[in-house]
Amino acid sequence: MRSLLNFLLRYKTLILFLVLEAVALIMISSSHNYHQTVLYGAARNVSGFMGKGLARGTYYFRLRQVNEELVAENMSLRRRLEGLTSAPQDSFTAVRDTISGINYTYLNARVINNSVNKQKNFITLDRGSKHGVTNGMGVASSDGVVGVVVGVSRNYSVVMSLLNSEFRLSSSIARNDYFGSLAWDGTNYRYARLSEIPHHVSIAEGDTIVTSGYSAIFPPGLMVGALTGDQKRGGDFVSLKVLLSADFKKLTNVYLIGNLTREERNNLEEEVVQ
Amino acid sequence: MNSLIRYSLAFIVLIALQLLIFNNIEFSGYINPYVYVMFILILPVAMPSWILLLLSFLAGFVIDLFSGTIGVHVFASVMAGFVRPWVLSLNVTGEASEPDMSPSAYRNGLRWFLIYSLTVVLVHHLALFYIELFTLRNFFHTLLRVLLSTAATTFFVVLFDFIRPRR
Repeated sequence: MRSLLNFLLRYKTLILFLVLEAVALIMISSSHNYHQTVLYGAARNVSGFMGKGLARGTYYFRLRQVNEELVAENMSLRRRLEGLTSAPQDSFTAVRDTISGINYTYLNARVINNSVNKQKNFITLDRGSKHGVTNGMGVASSDGVVGVVVGVSRNYSVVMSLLNSEFRLSSSIARNDYFGSLAWDGTNYRYARLSEIPHHVSIAEGDTIVTSGYSAIFPPGLMVGALTGDQKRGGDFVSLKVLLSADFKKLTNVYLIGNLTREERNNLEEEVVQ
Repeated sequence: MNSLIRYSLAFIVLIALQLLIFNNIEFSGYINPYVYVMFILILPVAMPSWILLLLSFLAGFVIDLFSGTIGVHVFASVMAGFVRPWVLSLNVTGEASEPDMSPSAYRNGLRWFLIYSLTVVLVHHLALFYIELFTLRNFFHTLLRVLLSTAATTFFVVLFDFIRPRR
């Protein structure tokens, strides 16, 4: 007993060190089901609150850039509106149903926490269940796809960033509609890889990559990025390096995309497949 | 001034600097300075190592809590707190040191402080970057990040050491 006590006293620093590191490792391994961790739930509210204050402070310094983005988006919306109102009507429709054509709704949100330097990056938005945000909603900026909502609290929501090694996005080459799976390889935050493209498909540097619309999260044709010309061959497929159009380091205003008919579509797909 | 208050103040200032400024600094995704390690560096020389470990744990935990990572900073900080006494004893200076002295370039010389900081920061960053990845994939890419970030952190630590208030 006495020698055991002596042993413990002599090595108390080493033992404490090992215990503390074990605690750290347990914390790390329990955080793999990230948004379910109790600790994180508490921390999210605190850091959400702090991030909001910080974002409010730094937002002012980016007003110029934000304004330019908004003007650019206004312009493109105006152009689309012009195309819609001046398009020749191809049939006589006495009553126009204003709801039937709408599949997606949009809600603007502000980024209050963001990172690009981890392997699994998440983004916090200032919109939560109070504003109608639900898990699985798509998130895009005016430049392109940003991520998918994976956790919602009352006032905040957490988005799995496209810059997350677990994220897969079904996207296609706009010119010829061939689709593949887009994922981030965890190195440079400006680039991702589009894989599963058959190697007979003709591609050119600068080709636009858009969402395919095969998942019910994003509408088809949403901008993702552009091909850089760098490609890797493996078997029957090539994987292409894509320059992402959204710059994740200056993400400020984004919008959440809700699919009104998603449940119907998913139900139908499940029903038929099983 | 009471040393408890002084070190608490240093703790708060360094954590705030880290969370509000340095967490938002990245140069090309390679350089992520973690200056809060300075808190572990400037604790008194004679501090018992078990208190040092607990304080390192606390510093890592607070950083983890506010940056949405769980456990990685705790792991790296405890590692840094564990090697600090060894690095100190390896780098003994000629002059006798008073027990509650805080290591600094002013007292121990710039060269000594630089080597001391560089070693502890390197251990911290090695632990941090690899435990965050949890794999040895992209080994050399990560190593480059570690080395560049270590240089950046050490630079800021030495800079802050020059401007921090002395008794």
